[in-house]
Amino acid sequence: MTSQDTALDLAQPSQVKWRQYVVTAGRIVLAILLVAAWKIGADRAGPIYVADPFLVANRIVTDTMSGELVHHVYVTLRLSVIGFAIGCFFGVVLPFLLRRLPRLTDAIEPYIMASVGIPKYALIPLFILWFGIDDAPKLWLVGLLVFYPIFIAVFAGIRNVDRRLINMARVMGASEAMISREVIWNSLQSFFFAALKIALPRAISATIIGEFLVGNAGLGFFIEYSRQNFDTTGVFAGIVIATALVLVINSVLVRIDRRLNAWRPTDRDMEL
Amino acid sequence: MSAQALLEVHDLGKRFASRAGRDSSLWVIRDLSFSVADGEFLTIVGPSGSGKTTLLNMIAQIDVASGGEVRFQSEVAPINDPKSLNPGLSCRIGYVTQEDNLLPWRTMLQNVLFPLVVQGRLNDETRARAEMLIRTVGLAGFENHYPHELSGGMRKRASLIRTLVYDPPVILMDEPFGALDAQTRTVLQEDLLRLWNLGRKTIIFVTHDITEAIALGDRTLVLTRAPARVAGEHKIDLPRPRDIRGILTDPKFIEIYQRIREQVQ
Repeated sequence: MTSQDTALDLAQPSQVKWRQYVVTAGRIVLAILLVAAWKIGADRAGPIYVADPFLVANRIVTDTMSGELVHHVYVTLRLSVIGFAIGCFFGVVLPFLLRRLPRLTDAIEPYIMASVGIPKYALIPLFILWFGIDDAPKLWLVGLLVFYPIFIAVFAGIRNVDRRLINMARVMGASEAMISREVIWNSLQSFFFAALKIALPRAISATIIGEFLVGNAGLGFFIEYSRQNFDTTGVFAGIVIATALVLVINSVLVRIDRRLNAWRPTDRDMEL
Repeated sequence: MSAQALLEVHDLGKRFASRAGRDSSLWVIRDLSFSVADGEFLTIVGPSGSGKTTLLNMIAQIDVASGGEVRFQSEVAPINDPKSLNPGLSCRIGYVTQEDNLLPWRTMLQNVLFPLVVQGRLNDETRARAEMLIRTVGLAGFENHYPHELSGGMRKRASLIRTLVYDPPVILMDEPFGALDAQTRTVLQEDLLRLWNLGRKTIIFVTHDITEAIALGDRTLVLTRAPARVAGEHKIDLPRPRDIRGILTDPKFIEIYQRIREQVQ
């Protein structure tokens, strides 16, 4: 060990902690201001257009106690998770298969990129026509909406992998499967997690939109049912719950990302 | 040459496809021939842009050759067809590249063990060898650090012992100490000579630094500007073990230095 070879000092100065408190306090103040603005808006616009935030909170509590909201959340989450899993699976596996077939990739790439442009929500009527009014049309919608961002990110991630690392692994005797799993998969983690941050909230909103049109349960059904009954408080309660769901999922995701990718030199992700 | 040739390079050539509008394609390396004996430390000096990295890439088989052949223990390596390339020639040719190329998501120890893992050779014995190498180069205590938490010199050491750990008969080195400060570089050169003394591997070490080439090698080849050919061959009959810092004032060193200096354009 020579003197100039000391490892970098990674200790955090205490200033950082103090700054963290200021940020947290700022966020709380902002939250209070937002609720206040909402309350003022509700009083001005009237209960048919904007629901009173305290009535919404009240509604959330009572409907949660009665188990009704819990059931809707469960239905929405279940569908989102299954649809997400399907879309994510193909979004990850296809680029890895295409990597081995560069000519095929070149041939179909413009078609894939063109299909990105199709507005997926516009396909719902067709999905209902083709797949009935059960879970299937909603799963197709969620799956497709999740598939694209993940496919594109993983595809770009694979192209972005440092060739030198792949060559190094090859010289050391790594098989193509090992290179895919170890070098490529790990290299594209930041791409993958960036895509997840888009895809997971998308899975929830796609499910909700699907439920507007098809089905008799789920948050989308709850919101649409409330709207049809001029129950604006119910609509707002549904939106608040959907938002909370997305926020919880995102913060879990950020935590997983941080745990798995602790090796990354800098981590500047937003945390909630 | 004393011992029998372990690795031979015959009339090796590399041409890059011509740019549009120009007829002649560019030969970076042409009709390059040399051989390395078992256990020999061969250094190759050449001006920058003389295709040194390309040469090693072809020997390591991560790049195709446009002509000629490479033989390992008289066996012809398939270097002319991109489909039949066998990078590392089945783990018999190790390659320490210019950049450390450590996997950033693996700790230093995991990086050093990586070749053993992919070759399915990780056991108590090889693990002990890895730990011995880590101690030899002074990296003990940094096993669980990620590459970005290590200094440039430490990363270089880790990348060096990552190749030594699986003990390939031939090791190629491409200016491994190029990007380091003079002080660290000298320390690493000493480390390398010490490690080489432990196992006496066959090493082909490429550099643009004449001093380094003489201080480390048994023999030095001088390459011409592109297209690279062998301009001269110099036996370095300085006694071993060598003192890297003291060698610079040795009259014999100075004499060899002058001879090589004249050939490097």
